[in-house]
Amino acid sequence: MALSLQISKQRKTWWLVSGVLTLVSIAAMAISLSQFNYPIRPGLDFIGGTRLQLERDCAQADCSAPINPSDVRAILSEQGLGDSSVQVTSTERQKNQGVSIRTANLDVEARTALEGKLSEAIGPFDLESTQNDTVGPVLGERILSSGLIALLIAFAGIVVYLSIRFKLDYAVLALVALFHDVFITVGVFAILGLVLGLEVNSLFIVALLTIVGFSVNDTVVIYDRIREMIKLSPDQPIDNIVDTAVNQTLGRSVNTTLTTTLPLIAIFLFGGITLKNFSLALIIGFLLGAYSSIFIASSLLGWWRSRSESLAPAGMAQELEDSSEVEDEAI
Amino acid sequence: MGKQRGLLALILALVIGAVIVLAKVPPRLGLDLQGGSQLTVLVKPTEEIPEISERDLEAVTRVLENRVNGLGVAESVVQTTGEDQILVQLPGVSDPAQAEKVLGGTAQLEFRSQKQGTEAAFQAERLARQEIELQALIAEETGDAEAIAQAQESLKSSNEVIANFFDEGSLTGEYLKDAYATTGGAPGGSNWEVGLRFDGKGGELFADLTKGLAGTNRGLGIFLDDALISAPVVDVQFATTGITGGNAVINGNFDSREAANLAIQLRGGSLPLPVEVVETRTVGATLGRDSIQRSLYAGAAGLALVLVFMAIYYRLPGFIADISLIVYTLLTLASFALLGVTLTLPGIAGFILSIGMAVDANVLIFERTREELRAGKSLYRSVESGFYRAFGSILDSNVTTLIACAALFWKGTGFVKGFALTLAVGVLVSMFTAITCSRTLMFTAITIPDFKKKSLFAPGVETIAKS
Repeated sequence: MALSLQISKQRKTWWLVSGVLTLVSIAAMAISLSQFNYPIRPGLDFIGGTRLQLERDCAQADCSAPINPSDVRAILSEQGLGDSSVQVTSTERQKNQGVSIRTANLDVEARTALEGKLSEAIGPFDLESTQNDTVGPVLGERILSSGLIALLIAFAGIVVYLSIRFKLDYAVLALVALFHDVFITVGVFAILGLVLGLEVNSLFIVALLTIVGFSVNDTVVIYDRIREMIKLSPDQPIDNIVDTAVNQTLGRSVNTTLTTTLPLIAIFLFGGITLKNFSLALIIGFLLGAYSSIFIASSLLGWWRSRSESLAPAGMAQELEDSSEVEDEAI
Repeated sequence: MGKQRGLLALILALVIGAVIVLAKVPPRLGLDLQGGSQLTVLVKPTEEIPEISERDLEAVTRVLENRVNGLGVAESVVQTTGEDQILVQLPGVSDPAQAEKVLGGTAQLEFRSQKQGTEAAFQAERLARQEIELQALIAEETGDAEAIAQAQESLKSSNEVIANFFDEGSLTGEYLKDAYATTGGAPGGSNWEVGLRFDGKGGELFADLTKGLAGTNRGLGIFLDDALISAPVVDVQFATTGITGGNAVINGNFDSREAANLAIQLRGGSLPLPVEVVETRTVGATLGRDSIQRSLYAGAAGLALVLVFMAIYYRLPGFIADISLIVYTLLTLASFALLGVTLTLPGIAGFILSIGMAVDANVLIFERTREELRAGKSLYRSVESGFYRAFGSILDSNVTTLIACAALFWKGTGFVKGFALTLAVGVLVSMFTAITCSRTLMFTAITIPDFKKKSLFAPGVETIAKS
């Protein structure tokens, strides 16, 4: 391998990088918290609301001019929905003939009334191309809390599994790296929410959970190799072992991240608006996952082991003897 | 080599099977892809019923089913989710306003007495109604939207005609405490009845009502949401006092299922549980088709990118991984069809994502193989130990993904479950294709002399293998 990383020597640098990213994330979340009461701009899945996506039926409507958002806003204020957001949308078929409206939670009467007024003024709309979503606040809270519970369960499940397969300290450090990935992904979306007004919905939690399940893979593979090498040459200093293990698995780490990111890029480019943010979250999370496995999880383990080695110089060798599946080569 | 040949035959058989399944079983598309409305109804507790039991939820579900059937939507689905939610799916409905209005109210159960002199007309209308119901059923089977709408229209007017044969009643569902299917105390008996139990005031009202009807041929009309669900007659022996004590049984030629059905309907009507539509999601059919189109592009592009990358970077093994990946794609899609997985937009995203993850195992194995080759081992031994040594890592990484899927499936709702399921199926199938399938193909390949070049496996290692 031409490229050789000196993880253990540079670990302070990488920890600094991650520390800064974490601080920026905390800052972004704090600003979001003061602005939206949530650490990240919440979509209607979590806080409730109504979103109408309408498209003019050009067979019947006059589509010569694009939809004027101020016309739509006028109707909204007439209906007492002045603080709603309005966006004119385009499809492949026609430009600027659609409108996406996000309002507070509307019941069926209010929604029908609004649709009627809009249809009168700028429609008629093509029912087959509309999309509308209404989520009540009660359900929104439920979606959010069940999502967060799922996230905690996944964290716990992975710690338990890794403690069985490895040792508790491996599991805890892998979790630190994992938390780092998820936290900074949330931070990035907090920034996107502040800057671009990007909202997160329940698919974002799905993305976080997928990141949890996948990011730990790279860490596991590196830890697997570290364990194998400790067994083969227990006298080597742990920092050397960590560096060699990272470099030996580097090709795999990079390529796996690449093969999983390629389809995500395809989804990002070709998938609809719903899947765009979803794939973006996954791409960010997976890249962070690869980064944290290579630079953070490994160096943390090296630091932790050398620290406990210097505290208890004897006895380490025995502790590392459980690698039963790494046996001498068959045949 | 016999074992290899057997496995090759197995893989070939699975691929052929998968192709047949894919050709025969059309994929089940979620509402976000085929277009339609999905409503979530929340059943709210009251002071009297602070906790909603499974039995209550079932009863409310039945009430909603009746209402949804009244809408005349083909292939509608009503099912409970969680402890107090009911999911209603209406394929093809692009304006759910009517459904929302119909689903929203509390069920109205009423006991009414039949007007005098309507006996013959009532009988005739009921016979006519049976015919209409049969038509409605046939229309539902064939999925002919026009016929369904027509049948629903006839049913509605029939409901009105029938309601006209009855007086307005004062005994409503709120006085009914319970309704249950019973065999009248005869254990193992086949004479199924439906027992009714009223509260004190309800018992009095019921006695009054039945006194007037006893011995006449006029029926006691039981109406749920203004539709007649049963019209028993009252025996002459109750003519003086009516049915007192607040308990009664309805008997007829019920089998256990019919009796249970009626009891559930009655219970649903007796529940003063308010329901609220807390979520509606509607996607127009055109939008759904667009989504399918986009997903196909994304899936094809994702697959192509991975195939090209693997073949270029890993050469011969990469090409073998590509074959395995195509086998993976076929087997996974066939598993979705066989398991009846409903494909939603996030579900498709999960599948496309799993294409990238599926080659992870091969990447691990091939990287290991290259290391062994560079260490100077023979081709056969390098390949062998690549598979052997990478297995632990492959297992670990798949188990962690499955843990996340399990958490999603357990705690997630609706479409989130779909994503978890598709991803989990993908991971499991990839364990087979990336290990067994790749391994078999690889060992078959290295028996071919032309392929026995180390350079085909790892650039820079040029020595010809001897094995």
